[in-house]
Amino acid sequence: MKRRNETLILRADPILCDGFGHCAELAPEIVTLDEWGYPIISTTPLGAARSTSLRSAQLAVRGCPRQALWIEKVEQRS
Amino acid sequence: MIAFTTPYLWYSSRATGIVSLVLLTVMIVLGALVSTRVGGRAVGRFEINEIHRSISMITMLFVVVHVGTTVVDSYVPIGFFSALVPFTSGYRRIPVAIGTIAIDLMLTVWVSSLVKDRIRNVTWRYLHWLSWGCFAAAALHGFLVGSDSHRPWMIILQAVCVAAVIMAAIWRITQRPTRAAGRTAHSPLAGSGQVATKKTSPTSGPRPLAKTGGRAIPPSAPLAKGPRR
Repeated sequence: MKRRNETLILRADPILCDGFGHCAELAPEIVTLDEWGYPIISTTPLGAARSTSLRSAQLAVRGCPRQALWIEKVEQRS
Repeated sequence: MIAFTTPYLWYSSRATGIVSLVLLTVMIVLGALVSTRVGGRAVGRFEINEIHRSISMITMLFVVVHVGTTVVDSYVPIGFFSALVPFTSGYRRIPVAIGTIAIDLMLTVWVSSLVKDRIRNVTWRYLHWLSWGCFAAAALHGFLVGSDSHRPWMIILQAVCVAAVIMAAIWRITQRPTRAAGRTAHSPLAGSGQVATKKTSPTSGPRPLAKTGGRAIPPSAPLAKGPRR
């Protein structure tokens, strides 16, 4: 069986986002804000389960007042 | 229903009713602060949001005790049914019904927040507006049937609560930012690691991640159709 190299990344829906900035506070190692307060999300994979960055991303997803964030499984190009 | 009455039930009902009014006020004010994006420096915006959520939970606990003690106390003929359905109370029908409406509105907002992940965010937001009505109904209910509502200290307390909520409403309407309100400096990890160095670094421009080799998703990046949960 071919082993698929999947990782998790945090994604944002720019339409739903209203720039509350909670994600940048809850997951500062993943999200920074641009000069208008919208998120710039690092493409670095979130790492294994129970890693700090995944936990931060989950907090950001939960804390988003517009529910504009989600964690997505992506296939890693290597 | 078994007849059961003790003055302590009545005292508990009065006390928790008053505490509920104060907590409702704090809850509404904090909610207005969240939606107008207050915070980010001295206190985090997410912290205000979390306090808002926690206070709402605590408020509902007090309301449960407030209603529970009234229903259990057989001195006033208010059944469990009339705690949820307005205009069914044998005691002070209209004022009690206003309190019942406040409970129904509160439950609507609570349930909509529980199923927030399953409904559209806009729907949840519109349902959340009902909390203003919840406060108005609760305040009116307290003023009409509260045993202490005409005592000087309670009039002062009610006036403060109503004034605070009216000010929060004015603040909410006039300060409403439709879009992003800029950077927020506060975070749990702000004191350590890259965030702190980035903040103090003289080389950091307005878009630090975008500069470092395109390892960032701009907000305008096309979205894969992922499962939304």
